[in-house]
Amino acid sequence: MADTTWTTTGEEALFPAKNNRLKFAVGGVLLLAAIVYLIVNAMSGNTQLYKTVGEFYAEQDRLIGRDLRVAGFVVGDSIEFVQIDATTSRLEFDIVDDINNPSQRLHIVAMNEPKPDLLQHEAQALVEGSANENGEFISNPGGLLLKCPTRYEELDPAGHPDGIDMQTGNTN
Amino acid sequence: MIPELGYIALILALAAAVFAAGAAYYGRHTNQPRWIESARNATIATFPLITISCLLMIYSLVQGDFSVEYVWRVSSRDMPTYLKVTALWGGQAGSLLFWNFLLSVFTAAAMARNWRKQKELMPYAIMVASFTQIFFLSISVFVEHPFARLPAVPVDGNGLNPLLRHPGMIIHPPMLYLGFVGFTIPYSFAMSALISGKLDDVWIKITRRWTLVAWLFLSLGLVLGGRWAYDVLGWGGYWAWDPVENASFMPWLAGTAFLHSVMIQEKRNMFKMWNIFLILLTYCLVIYGTFIVRSGVISSVHSFAQSAIGPLFFAFIAVMFVFSAYWMLKRRVDLHSENRLNSLLSREAAFLYNNFLILAILLVVFLFTNYPIFSELITGEKGFVGPPVYEQALAPLFVLLLLLMGVAPLTMWYRSSAERIGMSLRWPALAALVFIGVLFALGIRGWGALLGFWVVSFSLILTLLEFWKGTRARMKKGENVFVAYSNLMARNRRRYGGYWIHLGVIVMAFGIIGVEIFQEQTQIRLGVGEKVSLGRYEMQFLSATRYAGPDDLIITEATVDVYDNGRYVGQLHPRSELYTRTNQPMTIPNARSTITEDFYVLMINWEPATADQATFRIYLNPLINWVWAGGVIFVIGTLVAAWPDPAVERSLSRRRRPAAAPTD
Repeated sequence: MADTTWTTTGEEALFPAKNNRLKFAVGGVLLLAAIVYLIVNAMSGNTQLYKTVGEFYAEQDRLIGRDLRVAGFVVGDSIEFVQIDATTSRLEFDIVDDINNPSQRLHIVAMNEPKPDLLQHEAQALVEGSANENGEFISNPGGLLLKCPTRYEELDPAGHPDGIDMQTGNTN
Repeated sequence: MIPELGYIALILALAAAVFAAGAAYYGRHTNQPRWIESARNATIATFPLITISCLLMIYSLVQGDFSVEYVWRVSSRDMPTYLKVTALWGGQAGSLLFWNFLLSVFTAAAMARNWRKQKELMPYAIMVASFTQIFFLSISVFVEHPFARLPAVPVDGNGLNPLLRHPGMIIHPPMLYLGFVGFTIPYSFAMSALISGKLDDVWIKITRRWTLVAWLFLSLGLVLGGRWAYDVLGWGGYWAWDPVENASFMPWLAGTAFLHSVMIQEKRNMFKMWNIFLILLTYCLVIYGTFIVRSGVISSVHSFAQSAIGPLFFAFIAVMFVFSAYWMLKRRVDLHSENRLNSLLSREAAFLYNNFLILAILLVVFLFTNYPIFSELITGEKGFVGPPVYEQALAPLFVLLLLLMGVAPLTMWYRSSAERIGMSLRWPALAALVFIGVLFALGIRGWGALLGFWVVSFSLILTLLEFWKGTRARMKKGENVFVAYSNLMARNRRRYGGYWIHLGVIVMAFGIIGVEIFQEQTQIRLGVGEKVSLGRYEMQFLSATRYAGPDDLIITEATVDVYDNGRYVGQLHPRSELYTRTNQPMTIPNARSTITEDFYVLMINWEPATADQATFRIYLNPLINWVWAGGVIFVIGTLVAAWPDPAVERSLSRRRRPAAAPTD
């Protein structure tokens, strides 16, 4: 660094150390209070509840109209993208907790949202929005999130891909 | 046979790491240098062993040996060779193997660079680094076995997800890994200083250099990840405050705080405990980040494996945290500051404010990232915090940090005169005010945007003035402006490299304000010949065609004309690709990029039956390219600051010589 022409003793003599502890303590408390305020202020009324499909249906009455983030697996044959007119599109699909046992389906509706590339059968979806009285879950603008590609691929429960099709190499 | 050899090499590497840790401990406690040298050799030996294992995995990938489960999962016959090679880090087991490889590279490099000069610190550094290596190697050997065979041999593999076939995604993971892994070395030296009690200024210099290297890679990883998201994911954004993104950002923040506060210790012998705390925090956040990414404990847009490694990582974090905290408390008397702050208006105080602000940002990000866990613990219900909450809470802290970035270089060590600083700030503040006046006259509204632009332009002017003052001082000695500037940079790399990093951040901040506040978007279906307007741009849909691409690709490509203020500026070709084998579509945006904005077009729907109509989503992203340009400046600045300075190296050698002389 350029400004290194000092000696500890000389400089200390010029500028005797004051006890700034009190000032720093007060400053620290104020800063902490400011951070707490920023956090509380930003969060108040803006956090979402995170629910799986089963959890949503268990408390459906309480959760209608509330800002939620629901998670589930996409049922492939329920995906539908309709361009209603030039400026209005409607994307619909169902999500379930267990793709092999889709007893409870949550119907997702996203208006004027593109169909994400990853929206496919068995894809994991996270949807931010709220449920209405008709049993539909309406996605917020930009609230439709599909899990990113399987860079860290899921292991199946046995730890081995038992369901491999030996001809194609694809999982069943 | 090849996979088995790869696995044996991994087991040997694990044995070498265990031996290294044990031999270093034994050699240090019985005072036998031969054992410590043996520990060093064993540490270095992990590098060729893990390299062999990686090369054999790459060989299996390139050869398409689908009897290996990992090869089957992440590659396929029709993938180009370069993608087969990069599939090494395309899945959990392979990326852990690659992680082990990078860790062995770093530890071998640390042995080579610091062995002769830092003999007293090395036994403990070997122990700590080896302990980390043992943990990750054990995961690879016992839990995520990369060479595990399948019961039967499939004809072909699954292939790499098409979204990952992007140059940004090929480079981004290794950069992040290098950043993450790199922090093991400064942590090891910090711990060795703590355990050995050698808490003079030597460890801090070694640690700073290694931190800067790791920090550079982590910065590159963050920028490249943002660029990949912008280019590939088609949502017009680059950062979503997702837990996985935050997992990389948090150690970066802690590392940034350390790189600043370390200067106070070097100059004033203060904040020793604080610096140790920061480097330990950075390392713990690295391991915690890895835990978040790979355990699936927090819901994220990114995909996770729900594998058995989550609890193991948690246990490892706990052990390292307790181990670090124990030694820090044990040495608390030695870490006591020799000096006190003389003034609240001084360079050291400015660094301290910087640290407060960075740690405040870190605290907010940590709380919000872990909110699902905390809320479930407290209320019994899992909550989630979205990007708007992050932005609202963090914006004031970032503004203060940017202000400090401009003002701090004006302060002096020990004490600064408020009057002198005030004088120095007056004209830049006024110039920044004039600048936003011009922006206002050009039609830019919104107090948030104008305040943001004022702060960044104010900091920009102050930073540029620092360069000018330094250059002018040399020009007074008779050097011309270019020579003066070159000499200024060459002789104060660390300081002016740091200012280049600040410049990079400021340029990025311009871009972030632009795109966050002024982004516009629309979605519309157009018939052939129809037009749509967005901002001062107009786009006309000309045609769409579908054709077969290479491999299994079917490409649908639109052609649109783009007009800027009515003037034709070119054609864009947004397209959609379908990988027919996996039925995976990819929407590829096409953008007209200028220094002021991106006109970013996605074709989101086109049906062959109605070939004369297509639906487009269009974004106008003002100043987005400033984000990338800032990233480039940032990296260049870091390289300048990290480059070894011969003068400093000589002074370090001189300082070490008396202690090293008897053994050399």
